[in-house]
Amino acid sequence: MAEKTAKIQAAGGVDDKAREAYFTASQGQLIWARFKRNKSAMAGLIVLVTLILAGLFSPFLTPYDPTAAGRDASYQNGAPQIPRMWDENGFSWRPFIYTPERFRSIKTNFRWVTRINKKKRRYMTFLPEGDPYKLFGMTFRTHLFGVDKGKIHLFGTDAAGKDIFSRTFHAINTSLAVGTIGVFLAFFLALIIGGVSGFYGGWIDSALQMFTDAIRTVPAIPLFMALAAFIPPEWSAEARFFFISTILGLIGWPTLARRVRTHLLTERNQEYVLAAKLCGASASHIIRRHLLPSFTSYIIVDLVISFPYMVLSETALSFIGLGLKDPVNSLGVMLQNVTQADVLLNYQWYFIPVIFFIVLVLAFVFVGDGLRDAADPYAETRK
Amino acid sequence: MGQFLRFAFVRAIMAVVTLIIVSFIVFSLMEMVPGDCAERYLAFKNTQGSGISVADIDAERERLGLNRPFMVRWVSWIWHAFQGDFGESCILRMDISQLLSDKFLISLGIALAALALAYAIALPVGIISATSRSPVLNNTLRLVSYLGLALPNFLLALMIMLFSTMVYGNSLTGLFSPQYRDAPWSWDKFVDFAGHAWLPIFILGWSATAFAIQTVRALMSDEIGKLYVTAARARGVSGWRLLRRYPARHALGPIINSLGFDLNRVFNELPVVALILTLTEAGSLLIEALARSNDQQLAGAIIFLLTGSIVALNFLTDILLALADPRVRHSILGRSA
Repeated sequence: MAEKTAKIQAAGGVDDKAREAYFTASQGQLIWARFKRNKSAMAGLIVLVTLILAGLFSPFLTPYDPTAAGRDASYQNGAPQIPRMWDENGFSWRPFIYTPERFRSIKTNFRWVTRINKKKRRYMTFLPEGDPYKLFGMTFRTHLFGVDKGKIHLFGTDAAGKDIFSRTFHAINTSLAVGTIGVFLAFFLALIIGGVSGFYGGWIDSALQMFTDAIRTVPAIPLFMALAAFIPPEWSAEARFFFISTILGLIGWPTLARRVRTHLLTERNQEYVLAAKLCGASASHIIRRHLLPSFTSYIIVDLVISFPYMVLSETALSFIGLGLKDPVNSLGVMLQNVTQADVLLNYQWYFIPVIFFIVLVLAFVFVGDGLRDAADPYAETRK
Repeated sequence: MGQFLRFAFVRAIMAVVTLIIVSFIVFSLMEMVPGDCAERYLAFKNTQGSGISVADIDAERERLGLNRPFMVRWVSWIWHAFQGDFGESCILRMDISQLLSDKFLISLGIALAALALAYAIALPVGIISATSRSPVLNNTLRLVSYLGLALPNFLLALMIMLFSTMVYGNSLTGLFSPQYRDAPWSWDKFVDFAGHAWLPIFILGWSATAFAIQTVRALMSDEIGKLYVTAARARGVSGWRLLRRYPARHALGPIINSLGFDLNRVFNELPVVALILTLTEAGSLLIEALARSNDQQLAGAIIFLLTGSIVALNFLTDILLALADPRVRHSILGRSA
């Protein structure tokens, strides 16, 4: 109430239409209105949506297959190639890159050396046919860009000649998928355990709380590292993928469950619950129709906030070799070999994907923070 | 005093019960893992060239007592674990407590030092940012804490390694110089250790600091608007003296309370950071035990020890809180105190 009057006074002589719109707005509309005013959160949202779309359409946006099938055998550990439109040999309307050539002679002590031939240009083409990929159940061959001869590697290539640009975008997709499965599993467990604990209270609550607290004291990553380590090596990459997502879901539930429980414990003594009970509503009806809607917004906020942790945990697990493995791409998989001195000294472009992931996580954090502020009806009066 | 002892006793019992529940979870998970210690050891021997048969595996099971029922083995494991005896490692055939003792203490030392660093920075900075209205300061702090979240410790460690390799040609890894690695502890060794340990401590403290600043700031901003602070100000108390004597004391309680979970978070990061910086302490030993040799006995012992130290810290902070916070003390000791 205080918030509403404060808002209307702040707006000055608002016309009745805006006033009516404000008073009849649904919870979702109110949250969106508050969210829109938060500039950093909106910027985060735009970046986030862009990255999610980039992840979803990664097979189209990137020129090559990210697995060994799309490797460029003639350009291994190759430096990033930056398209340009002019050089000392003249200007071109079509962006081009140079052709790298491998050669050896007595001068190089007969070792293979890659050098750039500036005379041979590779012109960029748009919407060329390339490696086949599947999107929405259909098979396509068209990619956004490519070059007329040979291959183009915007972010360079790794030791096997796989295109880091293609791998980065596919990795975003993987991380989002792992995070989504993990978050929903955690959410499901949290809702059941926290819901039972908070709704029934009493000794069930005490026992479940003791269990949850015991789980919360175990450092999750070492424990699940222990579990992940025992995945039989013969499992396929897909089976590992689902197993790792499940593990991440199992890491995430205790904190969420606690929030659900606390909320239910306060809400279940409210008059509207009592009224529903007196009308003879069943427990499941009360939970579904009255209690759940009362805190959906909090739950959504919690889900968004816990998402980056899922992504980062997956990265950590894969990085040490206990998570995902080739041919599944994820940031952790791509970073597996970077601690070698060779990579640190000579192939710094291996680190390019890190930038994308920091941006992805930051976008999630900004959106989560913005949502939390927007979902809190008292946020404005407190300031 | 009697009541206080009773409180401490109840807390100690609760800590032990928590440890027992945790040990049950850890033990069952280690059991669910396919294959047991006997198979693993003999499979390892097989790769070394000696032939093995099913009878050998059964004999080894007999020797390790793996043919006993699950509950019996769990009780015996937990009984020995509380006495500091974790049995033998599956592969290395070494006494685990001997294998771990030094390494675990070093890990714990590094983790606690990281926490201490985090709060040494977070307490003053958090208090200043809660009282200051300067938008520059507040936005900078927000950015720092966001970066603390988005740049997880292991990526930070990688970035530092990348930077130092490119600039200095030295990757700053390891915990000891070669000549001290196997030497007994001495002052020189400690100095050498400190010279190496600052980097992992800084890296582990990085995101802990970001979290701690946010906590301290939120708690202080909540307390600072309360009436008792205004009342104190009206009596003429001001500046640091006011902050230190009134709101900071109130905010301290929840911070002490959350130390256990902060330690948990540091332990989460420890193994990966240890792997990157090639530290030879418990964290990387855990990865060693898991990724390379599938040693469930060792892995279980390490996880139990990590959890044990968190439970111990939780117990200590509970006691400390009861001593430090008059409200908690009052609720324990009743009206007589």
